[in-house]
Amino acid sequence: MTRIVVFAREQLRAPFTLALLVAIPALFVISAAGVLSDFASVLGGSLAGDAAVALSAGWAAAFISGSLGFFQAASSRGADRRLALAGLGPARVASSRIAASVGLAVVAAAAAFVALVVRVDVAHPLHAAVAILAFALLYLAIGIVVGSLITAPLEGSLLVVFVFLLDAFAGPGMSGGSATPWAVSQKAADVLIAAAMGTGSPSGDWVKLVIVTVGALVAAFLVFVASARSRA
Amino acid sequence: MASTVATNQSVLTVDGVTKSFSSGPPWRRRRVEVLRGASLDVGRGELVGLVGENGSGKSTLMQVIVGLLARDAGTLAAPARLGYCPQQPLLWDKLTVDEHFELFARAYALDDQAAGAARRGLLDELGFAKYVGYRVEELSGGTRQKLNLALALLHDPELLLLDEPYAGFDWETYLRFWEMGERRRAAGMGILIVSHLLAERERLTRIYELRDGRCEVVS
Repeated sequence: MTRIVVFAREQLRAPFTLALLVAIPALFVISAAGVLSDFASVLGGSLAGDAAVALSAGWAAAFISGSLGFFQAASSRGADRRLALAGLGPARVASSRIAASVGLAVVAAAAAFVALVVRVDVAHPLHAAVAILAFALLYLAIGIVVGSLITAPLEGSLLVVFVFLLDAFAGPGMSGGSATPWAVSQKAADVLIAAAMGTGSPSGDWVKLVIVTVGALVAAFLVFVASARSRA
Repeated sequence: MASTVATNQSVLTVDGVTKSFSSGPPWRRRRVEVLRGASLDVGRGELVGLVGENGSGKSTLMQVIVGLLARDAGTLAAPARLGYCPQQPLLWDKLTVDEHFELFARAYALDDQAAGAARRGLLDELGFAKYVGYRVEELSGGTRQKLNLALALLHDPELLLLDEPYAGFDWETYLRFWEMGERRRAAGMGILIVSHLLAERERLTRIYELRDGRCEVVS
């Protein structure tokens, strides 16, 4: 517990980061929804109205969480490895680091959710909140995976953005075709759009959403642990 | 020629360790052999130096001993209670000196009393007690290095591995560092100091030079 608190404190001591955590989701939801629906129509997609606003909240939480996950894992890698080597072990360092980062993802998701409900009347707010949190956790995991493998800031952040763009363009409503396999946040997007449209989501979508999100966090944990061990 | 000085109270035995790295793109892959059968030995109560030119593989050998790098071949025997002071201070910029002690005390499984006593002793010995509440990003290079060293000593290790430990120290701290080393050695700690330049040769039990991937006793 001490480790999680100390790591969380470390993150909270970057005031600019905290400001971005709140500002980016708010600005994204306010300014990007219209652009998203214009973009979708150009690509042959059907995303528009409240669904576009809702999806922008998910993307906002995803973008900021992915960036934070990457920089957390990459910038602290040397010291984290030293701590693991000192006797704490890679698994405990990984779980503490990820648990502390989840706290930030929750803040980003909360900011995005608040911006969403301020902007539009969401039919199923609880569903929307869970879906936005799933976006944030999924991208937090992607950021941690990239940050555990690539420490160079430019290459790593570009890779996170690349995954984000692939996912966004391949997601539901963004193009005329069906969602492609690399739309990693497809289920989160389905649930979020359904919540905004007031239709709700079938239980199968919820199960898949939980599997994908938890699976991503487990993958992030395993990659972090592997990267904290001896290198060949 | 690899050399091993045998002692019946070794705390570190490195025998025939090899390590190579691949670099470059797949179509122009190059393999660089850094260690080609390095062997050395550190006994209890010995202060041993390891010197070598820049790029000779000193830090690589240190990282292999610590476990940060996997060796390709060879054997290695080191105690579990080992202290490692890396060349570049591996610290968290946003955490304070005290928070570093707190995390490492947990990692070393020290109880509160032992951790508190060790922390106070090291702060006094290295003379940076007034910085306990400072974040690393607020510290000078020399004070960071003191913290880097203190973390390696917090659990009173059987073997202390120091990679260029006094970079950034002022003259007074430099002298204090060697006195600390002498005291730890007298108490039975085995110490291996890696440096490209060792001026205090008379203080050392033995000096190895790493050349062409192998260790030779030079003094």
